[in-house]
Amino acid sequence: MRITGRVEQFLQSSPNPSWVRAGAIGVSAALLATLVALPFARTGVEAAIPFYLLAVVVASTGGGLRSGLVAAVVSSIGITFIFAPPRFQLHVDRVEDVLSSGVFIVVALVVGLLVARSADMRERATHRERDARLLGYLATKLLSGERLEQVLHDVAAALLEPFDLAACRIFATLDGHEIRSEALRSGPTLEAGAFVEAPIMIGGVTLGMVTAVRSVGMRPFSSSDRELLEAAARQIALAVERARLDARVRGVQLEAETNELRAALFSSVTHDLRTPLASIKAGVTSLLTGTVHDAEQQRELLTTVLEETDRLNRVVGNLMDLARVRAGALVPAREATDIEEVVLAVVARMQPQLAGVVIRLRLRPSLPEVFVDPVQLDQVLTNVIENAALHSPPGGEVTLSAASYRDAVEIRIADQGPGISPADRQRVFEAFYRGGAEPERPGTGLGLAIAQAIVVAHGGRIWIDGAPGGGAVVAFELPVAGERSA
Amino acid sequence: MVVDDEPQIRRALRTSLEAHGYEVVTVGTGQEGVLGAAELSLDLVLLDLGLPDMDGTDVIRRIRAFSDVPVIILSVRETQLDKVKALDAGADDFVTKPFGMEELLARARAAMRRAQPDEAAPALLTFGALEVDLARRLVSTGGNPVHLTPTEYGLLEAFVTNQGKLLTHQWLLRRVWGQGYGTETSYLRTYVRTLRKKLGDDAAAPELITTEPGVGYRWIGETSTAPQ
Repeated sequence: MRITGRVEQFLQSSPNPSWVRAGAIGVSAALLATLVALPFARTGVEAAIPFYLLAVVVASTGGGLRSGLVAAVVSSIGITFIFAPPRFQLHVDRVEDVLSSGVFIVVALVVGLLVARSADMRERATHRERDARLLGYLATKLLSGERLEQVLHDVAAALLEPFDLAACRIFATLDGHEIRSEALRSGPTLEAGAFVEAPIMIGGVTLGMVTAVRSVGMRPFSSSDRELLEAAARQIALAVERARLDARVRGVQLEAETNELRAALFSSVTHDLRTPLASIKAGVTSLLTGTVHDAEQQRELLTTVLEETDRLNRVVGNLMDLARVRAGALVPAREATDIEEVVLAVVARMQPQLAGVVIRLRLRPSLPEVFVDPVQLDQVLTNVIENAALHSPPGGEVTLSAASYRDAVEIRIADQGPGISPADRQRVFEAFYRGGAEPERPGTGLGLAIAQAIVVAHGGRIWIDGAPGGGAVVAFELPVAGERSA
Repeated sequence: MVVDDEPQIRRALRTSLEAHGYEVVTVGTGQEGVLGAAELSLDLVLLDLGLPDMDGTDVIRRIRAFSDVPVIILSVRETQLDKVKALDAGADDFVTKPFGMEELLARARAAMRRAQPDEAAPALLTFGALEVDLARRLVSTGGNPVHLTPTEYGLLEAFVTNQGKLLTHQWLLRRVWGQGYGTETSYLRTYVRTLRKKLGDDAAAPELITTEPGVGYRWIGETSTAPQ
């Protein structure tokens, strides 16, 4: 690789070598040919010409057209002076030798020209390939959808090598917020030398600048370098514009979702909040007017009031949680958490609600710890188990199993209820969705939506499966605690 | 004393507590709460964390500067961090609003009982089949001795001498392991699990120790009258 690099550098520097260098290459090639051909000097011009031709080809390849010309001139002098009789005089006796010399010069010129041109073309092809590869990389990178900071940082680093830069700086503004990226060539610190700048522009507005810096002593920037850098700047401008549009689209989406949520909230507030309130008010007013005298009836009314208060409390709690999760305010306080401990605590606390079902725990021994917020995990389990219990027939089994797979723990909660048709398996995670058939279920239609929001916020996923017996399985995966939590 | 800024809650608590034979003072601000704790001879403070003038945690700290009166927090779904902060600031317990009076009264009785230990605190504690002899550091269930390591015993002792109280991870770690500890909750978890197993307590239907995920543990074992 190192050698290829040097050769490339050598070729790249060939279009404008100084005459001194070109001359040196040409003269050395011709002198070398003279030395090699000397033993055959007595045979005359014919023996020397192939060596000199070789010298011209080598010089053109190595030093370009100028070196080839110098080699041809020095060679023709050599032919005349050393090989053509009378020897050691700049004067030629035989006509064929004059002809040979003349033909030699013409052939040398043509060969030199061709070789130099092919070298030049090869170099241009290398450049084009480099440019194409760079622009291709930029296009992929800029469309990758990564964060703009990351994209700019990677692009700055990618420009170093093909441009032979000591440093590359990119500065861009996105919605009034400045992003600066700088990439430096590793190795010894170099003194900054030549630099070029290309503006990042969208619709005539300058959004930033790309600055490419070479160290002192390196070749100056050519016009093709500048053009390529400008092309890169145009690509970066597109990326900045894309990031800006993305942000706007996200904002609009969020707003639409919020509006949708708000609309759903309004429609459900009537039902979910007013229904329990109605029962409570009816019960309490009956009791206050003193018309209910039977102790049994009084007790019944009071029990209803209590139950409805609990229901109201659940609805309000769920609404608050959902709003918090959606607003991104429920930031998980993650720590290495023992799933078993949380599962057991939830089951212990939910004993009263689980009185109508049989709960079975199938936890694999020695499950790895998960990296989650224990309180939020508690909530997910509570919501999912509550949901399973709500959809269970009396005395039905709710089975909770947990097992680890690679770097995640999967928890499955299965019930023996009516199950969920594959078509509805996504929709159950929508807020306020309840299995359409039974609108009067006591659930709030929010439990699974909250569970999903929490699981997703933890980088996990949640989905519905069918249970072998026909019930539904809510399954979710949580990341195992790794070094992050250590 | 009830410290809550909602007049309805104050009224409901006053009525219910008076019906159970308690004398009740109600105030609406943290400032009044701190003053009340200083001037009155109180058995218990019920404190709302969301007061208009002061942060509830600060109220506890101010009260704790001069008084050991039991403090129960009445919280409206505060985050676990708020709860831990309040407990670490010196609160004895918390009850989440809305709460049933029965639950509140049970917690209140437990907190007051802890605050006024019998002159001769029994050295032998019995919880159903479990016997803990604090003087001899002996533990048995159903007459069979239970062998505990010193750390396990230390943990058990911390629990049974703070019955009914919600003990935060940090508090337990400092008490049992020492001052330098406080964040090593996985140690604590392992020891609690072993202790439960040795004492025959099922975490899914606990009779001795309950878990409050992310906050701590509570000893719920009921002392039964010691046999003669």
